[in-house]
Amino acid sequence: MKHSFIDRYSALDSPLHLLDARTKLVGFTVLIAAVLWIPPGKPFAFFAYFFLTAILMGISQIPLTYIAARTLVILPFVLLAGLALPWKTGAGFALFSTLLLRSSLCLLILILLTNTTRFVELLRGLRRMGCPAILVMNLGFLYRYLFVLTEEVMRMRQARDCRRVGRARAAAEMKLLGSMLGTLLLRSFERAERMYQAMLSRGSCGEFPILAPRRFTWRDPAFLAGLGFFIWVAGYLN
Amino acid sequence: MHIPDGFLSNRIAIGFDALSGTGLFLSARRLKLEASARLVPMMGVLAAFVFAAQMLNFPVLGGTSGHLVGGALLAILLGPVPAALTMATVIIAQALFLQDGGLIALGANIFNIGGITAFSGYAVFRLLWRSACSEKRLAFAAFSAGWISMMLSAAACSIELALSGAIPLRIGLPAMVGYHALIGIAEGGLTAGVLAFLARVRPDLIEAPRNAKLSGLEWAGALIFVAIPFLILALAGGSALPDPLEKLIESGSAMTAGASGVQALISTLRFSEYFWEFLVLVALIFFVFLGGRFLHGRKAHQ
Repeated sequence: MKHSFIDRYSALDSPLHLLDARTKLVGFTVLIAAVLWIPPGKPFAFFAYFFLTAILMGISQIPLTYIAARTLVILPFVLLAGLALPWKTGAGFALFSTLLLRSSLCLLILILLTNTTRFVELLRGLRRMGCPAILVMNLGFLYRYLFVLTEEVMRMRQARDCRRVGRARAAAEMKLLGSMLGTLLLRSFERAERMYQAMLSRGSCGEFPILAPRRFTWRDPAFLAGLGFFIWVAGYLN
Repeated sequence: MHIPDGFLSNRIAIGFDALSGTGLFLSARRLKLEASARLVPMMGVLAAFVFAAQMLNFPVLGGTSGHLVGGALLAILLGPVPAALTMATVIIAQALFLQDGGLIALGANIFNIGGITAFSGYAVFRLLWRSACSEKRLAFAAFSAGWISMMLSAAACSIELALSGAIPLRIGLPAMVGYHALIGIAEGGLTAGVLAFLARVRPDLIEAPRNAKLSGLEWAGALIFVAIPFLILALAGGSALPDPLEKLIESGSAMTAGASGVQALISTLRFSEYFWEFLVLVALIFFVFLGGRFLHGRKAHQ
């Protein structure tokens, strides 16, 4: 079964992929914040940041079609905002373009962050930066069992489709889907019990140790310094 | 509805980041203190369950489909605090995997989709449900929990957007709540379906009093926790804190309704003035449904 629909491009080996997870977390978060704090009426700053993002995207080797498809997420919000603004005056257009530029730029940076870092490394980075252990464990378990449960859903769906034609009426459909989800839920419960037993019998201390430390090389401070310099210049030019 | 970055004003986004961060930290500590090591794999696997369950679509009116969000269901089965923590995990993962919702807006999204659905779903279910009640009553209680929790979550989302000055409440509130009243049918139906199934197969899961049962005092605390940030943000709407979008609004003089804070809340009461925009909105929702039906029909033929 085919389900490599998430973090597909995070295992490439561009210079951005080689950076430490913490560097990217800090750097890209700062970049998003810098975009959010651009004062209004300064289209130049937006274009500067778009330029930087485009360069980083080129370096990261993520396919453009993939990025374009991901950008559609903000569409409903843009439509709603477009409907609500006062178009008769100039303020409507200015506000709308600011919203559109800002949100799409932030989205592109987020795509860069999550598609250049493997999820496991992202979690290690979060843990090292002091994120609560229970949350990091939860995310780790989610990632680990997501694919198992997704396959289970696919098998259940296939079994259902083999045994019927078309869809049932709403009430019957609800009951059927409820039973399927309930079965999945019970299996998940039982799986969690087994995992707990397995953890106990292996002497778990409540947290997975981080075995493969990623070294902080000269690239990391260089990258952060470059970003900082860019943000300073962009702010200065405005 | 996952809010992307850029739509919330910085003040609102940071405020909700702080709120959700504190909530997460406190609930993580509370769970650790209760020494529930058993709960850790449980929450992780259930988060994966929510992720996987969203692949199963449920047809709503007119050919669009909704899927399980799961806040109410998890709250009924686990109690509100672990459920909110699990939903927070799901939302963080959705932001990091699928870019559903922004990074700075994460706090607001966790608050809306995790906190509000879990706590309100739990409250509604506890109000309507009695131990060892009939299957119909159980289904009714579960449906209401799922449906109402979705609408409250959508309402909170639209209030945040209005306080940010991005989407005025007179457009945002009816659009969001109206759309989620429809999508919420799927949420309610699936919550009811799952609980009806569990009542037949494993009634102990529903009957067992869950850990983290909240007392009256804690409920009052939770209510204040929800109400206070909105109040503060509403009252601070016109204050002198620097905020780029707000400056733009002030410079563009025509942007009066829904611009900031209390004004936004008051202006909702005058729907009649915005008849045409409202009509366009209804038409838009209608076209979304038509489009959904069209796509759905094509998929069925393949």
